[in-house]
Amino acid sequence: METNGFSVELKDVSKSYNKKTNVINEMNLSVRPGEFLVFLGPSGCGKSTTLRMIAGLENPTGGHILINGHDSAAMTSRQRNIAMVFQDYALYPNMTVYQNLEYALRVRKVPKKTRQQRLSTILASLNLSDYKDRYPAQLSGGQKQRVALGRGMAKKSNIFLLDEPLSNIDVQLREKARDQLLQLHAENGQTIIYVTHDQQEAMALGDRIAVINDGKIQMIDTPDNLYRHPTNLFVAQFVGTPQINILPVNFSNHQLTGVDGTVISRPGKNIRANLDEDQSYLLGIRPENVHLHDEQVSGSFPVEVQTIVDYGRYKQLTCKAFGEKFIKAVVNQWPKNATGTACATLDESAMLLFDPNTNQNVLDAQSNYVLE
Amino acid sequence: MLSERRHIGWHVLLLLICLCVIVPVLFMISNSFKTLQESYHSILQLIPSHPTLSNYRTLDKQINILRMVGNTFLMATLVTLGKVLTGLLAAYGFLNFHFKGKRVVYFLFVATIFVPFTTVMIPNYLVISKMNLLNNVLGVALPQMCDATGIMLFLKAMERVPKSLTESAKVDGIPDRRIFCNIIVPLLKPNIISVGAIFFINSWNEYVWPTLILKDKSSFTLPLALQNYISSEGGTNFPLAMALAVIMIVPPLLIYIVFQRYILSSISNSGLK
Repeated sequence: METNGFSVELKDVSKSYNKKTNVINEMNLSVRPGEFLVFLGPSGCGKSTTLRMIAGLENPTGGHILINGHDSAAMTSRQRNIAMVFQDYALYPNMTVYQNLEYALRVRKVPKKTRQQRLSTILASLNLSDYKDRYPAQLSGGQKQRVALGRGMAKKSNIFLLDEPLSNIDVQLREKARDQLLQLHAENGQTIIYVTHDQQEAMALGDRIAVINDGKIQMIDTPDNLYRHPTNLFVAQFVGTPQINILPVNFSNHQLTGVDGTVISRPGKNIRANLDEDQSYLLGIRPENVHLHDEQVSGSFPVEVQTIVDYGRYKQLTCKAFGEKFIKAVVNQWPKNATGTACATLDESAMLLFDPNTNQNVLDAQSNYVLE
Repeated sequence: MLSERRHIGWHVLLLLICLCVIVPVLFMISNSFKTLQESYHSILQLIPSHPTLSNYRTLDKQINILRMVGNTFLMATLVTLGKVLTGLLAAYGFLNFHFKGKRVVYFLFVATIFVPFTTVMIPNYLVISKMNLLNNVLGVALPQMCDATGIMLFLKAMERVPKSLTESAKVDGIPDRRIFCNIIVPLLKPNIISVGAIFFINSWNEYVWPTLILKDKSSFTLPLALQNYISSEGGTNFPLAMALAVIMIVPPLLIYIVFQRYILSSISNSGLK
């Protein structure tokens, strides 16, 4: 894909508001030109602050931000050529839709004819042509969001920053808006940095996702790797719905056992190579990798199915295992109201093991945490 | 039943308050259309038996009323423009620019609200006289062009404008001058109008400071002329003074009627916030 996007690099960037605690802690990150990168994390993790620093709205207290290889602190907003969409859209209430889109171009003295041509294309592509003379107060949430997007597009920026732009619109509209964003990215090839706390949105949009917590990047990788090979417990738990099952286990005599001594698995050689004998671990297994059987099979352990939630496409079962622990399983077929005793097996190839002290993934520790 | 009775009680009370406000105004209007003799005979009679415009004619002959209206208007307009402009600019600065000692400077500004006029009266007078602005409407207006109340009110109003609007403009490389003129000021229009109207009316009615600065009759503002008719030249001819008072209240009343919507909304807003 041809790109007109700029690269963005964060080098040891820190941010503190009170000179004591850092909101962002020596963050390093490299966004490739034309990449769609998503910042994903819980509220208050520092993802919006990072975005605001890239936009030039906040100054880092330490480190450097490079835009297209140049130190952004020394650049004017015109040189950075960034467009940003805010969570509340930040449309100027005293201007019509057209004026909102046109304003930055007018200030930049873009010729009237060029402005008109560019804006009519954008308005048409966003289905806003009929609303161009309306004021923001006269628009619905979805329309406002499209105007905000259009305003970012009008600038023909090299970097597009989006701060939770879809969180204020209906679920039905969100999917459509996502498609629009992907299309926009495919057509313009800008570098897009997108902030969200919604992991499904992140998975749907990002070329790569940076999972942020406590002002640090926990992992940055493709959605698939994030899901299958999380670098630590936080990433494993934050990504994926229903949430991953985490069970305390012990490893001894080449076996993984539950807290009550039930044998859960006899892992193969390649897994065993990473484990220490007589050590406790946290076993992570995604609900779709827990298989339930109505009778005992090789390697199975007993569980008690307690609740069944039917989501139509799949059923989610909550089972009690190893005494007091609960595990969730996602299955396609299960007899209606069939609660009670059953047997479970875990897909060994999808098992994750975390060190209970460091919370790091002991199987994939070396793998996917790429800091370029 | 009880609540209805309570309602009636409240209505009577409010009616009494309204009467207290409106009776002096009616008294003023009614007596301005009476001769001196009639007003002494029937001072409380609201509708004059022989309405006359003689007081207004006398005023027109004795003083250059148009000039005084002009002087007052010029002074009040200058003061209002000054206060609104400096207030808006200072409020924008306090909100958007970060500089050392900002809180202290803001505190000092706001503290000036509590400095009584009488304490700065003489220093101001000396400065104005050194600037050769005595007897000049400019001399009255100049020391009042900046007002901490305005800064405070505009700052509160600007704080209610979502920060993302200015930030979005900044990311787009729009300079502060443009953000201020094209985004903030249009959004604050109701506040500007209501605060401006209050400034204008206060300034229009001002008496003490103009008395010190304006000595020449030709430079008088309306409150000064009114005082003249009560104390010296008019002597006891109070219907004449009432006629002048009627002329004096017309412009503020018009402003209030025209901008009533904004003034009321900003008062009720400030009550809520």
